[in-house]
Amino acid sequence: MLSVIVRRLLLGIPNVILISVLLFFAIFGALGSPAALMLGLDATPERIAELERQFGFDRPLHVQYLDWMWKALQGDFGRSYTTSQRVTDALLPRLMPSIELALLGMLVATTCSVFFSSITVGKRIVRPLVNVASLIGITVPNFMLGISLMYVFSVMLGILPTSGWAPWSAGIGQHLLHLILPVLTVAAYYFASFGLVYRAEYRATSRRLYIQVARAKGLSESQVSFRHILPNSILPVITQVGSSLGQLAAGSLVTETVFSIPGIGTLFTNALLSRDFPVFLAIGMITIVCVVIMNLLADLLYVVANPQIRLD
Amino acid sequence: MRMPHPNVLIGLTIVSLVAACAIAAPWLAPYDPTTTSVLLFDTPSSKHWFGTDQLGRDVLSRVIHGARVSLMIGAGAAIVAGLIGVPIGLAGGYLGQTVDLVAMQFINLFIALPGLVLALIIIAMTGATMSNIIVVLGFVAWPGVARLVRGQAMSIRESVYVEAARAVGGGTFWIISRHIWPNVFRLVAVQLATVVAFSIFTSSSLSFLGLGVPPPTPDWGGMVRSGVDYLTVNPFMSLAPGGAVALTIFGFYMLGYREQ
Repeated sequence: MLSVIVRRLLLGIPNVILISVLLFFAIFGALGSPAALMLGLDATPERIAELERQFGFDRPLHVQYLDWMWKALQGDFGRSYTTSQRVTDALLPRLMPSIELALLGMLVATTCSVFFSSITVGKRIVRPLVNVASLIGITVPNFMLGISLMYVFSVMLGILPTSGWAPWSAGIGQHLLHLILPVLTVAAYYFASFGLVYRAEYRATSRRLYIQVARAKGLSESQVSFRHILPNSILPVITQVGSSLGQLAAGSLVTETVFSIPGIGTLFTNALLSRDFPVFLAIGMITIVCVVIMNLLADLLYVVANPQIRLD
Repeated sequence: MRMPHPNVLIGLTIVSLVAACAIAAPWLAPYDPTTTSVLLFDTPSSKHWFGTDQLGRDVLSRVIHGARVSLMIGAGAAIVAGLIGVPIGLAGGYLGQTVDLVAMQFINLFIALPGLVLALIIIAMTGATMSNIIVVLGFVAWPGVARLVRGQAMSIRESVYVEAARAVGGGTFWIISRHIWPNVFRLVAVQLATVVAFSIFTSSSLSFLGLGVPPPTPDWGGMVRSGVDYLTVNPFMSLAPGGAVALTIFGFYMLGYREQ
């Protein structure tokens, strides 16, 4: 087991390095001199050259990359160009809202998709509803879904706050009230995609012999569904949750913007729009690392949950 | 000729309607999409079905014209994804061995990456022009196409007619182009409809975040964004273009429907 983990980790490292090199060189190649960008249009060439020396932009790209990587590994991502704030200081307070949104979204998506796809009582009513909800999740972009929900529940009905973020200190009620619409928005797409995977596996499992045995010994349909089919069909969903969580490391970009949530996603978007590259380079790299790690964890979880599978 | 699945017919109808809007936009739209007027935030009426926006432009006309940008980006990205993904998939699937190993390594590397994040970074760097957006989205979507083509090519490689083609001395290129590709083509066409849906989804999200085609070109994602602040004044500023995006994506998604 341990050797599998180590081997997988070692295989993940070259991937991370390759992508980070691509990203770094692409950004610098496209940006031109960061110094010129910082100084604006009326900068003299001498001033640009001076700043380039000061920040080390005149060094060859691979030296800059290694330098950046070395510092990043020690937790130093440099300073923001627009606010001169340390990137880590800008990132830390924004972590909580994003993590909370991502985790709650995943939790809602997973439990709802698995529960409503396994339910055997009232199938005639539940199935069509699940299908419609899945279709909405896949075809309606997050910004449209978020705004529609906001329009219905906040503008028309006036029962939920339109946007913003209430910290825990504002009281748990307020905090959760502000979270309802964003979490639903994030969850919709994953509800659909987890459901697709789960139902396919569910159908395959329900044809197995041991399910027939469970029925034959007189278990009720819902006992068969929840106790026997569910545990044997949930694995592919776990993998999906893993890779989806990794992708959400950059924050739920669109949803955070719709509801003006002060998370990583809004920081990332603002950094991109103002070309504040130390900030978005850091977020981009962290996302890539998270994606690789989460995929790895999902694979390992798969093995732990099902001893029949061997990774080697 | 087998009757297509009803879902595909629904998709075809919606896509045809949207395409008709895009082509005939100047004649269909009651007003010019970029002409401003003094009638700001007009609520829906018989003159302006969806009202007017913050600059007094007719929202309906802008939604109709917006179909052009979305469809061009969607179709363009699908072509780019096909041009990169199909050759890589064919080569990996048919040639196998080292070529396949390298192809799969690249496919797996890119397929796991968050598409929106990648697209955002590249577009923020290169500038939000129509051609940049098309190339970037095609680049983000190609691994899916390649993986599908590879799987198909691998199974077709084992078929008797390919063996026969090899036995009569057919070269690799000839076999791929005359025997493999025609059998993969249909599946690729279906998959590309899904790529169009994905590209419209992503590009409208990009422009919602402020990285779409620059104004005043009417563009659905950007329109939704500018309407967010005026939801209480004229909700159709956001809901009409947002609905158009959702309907178009739904259409292409249905068009790409495959029975499992």
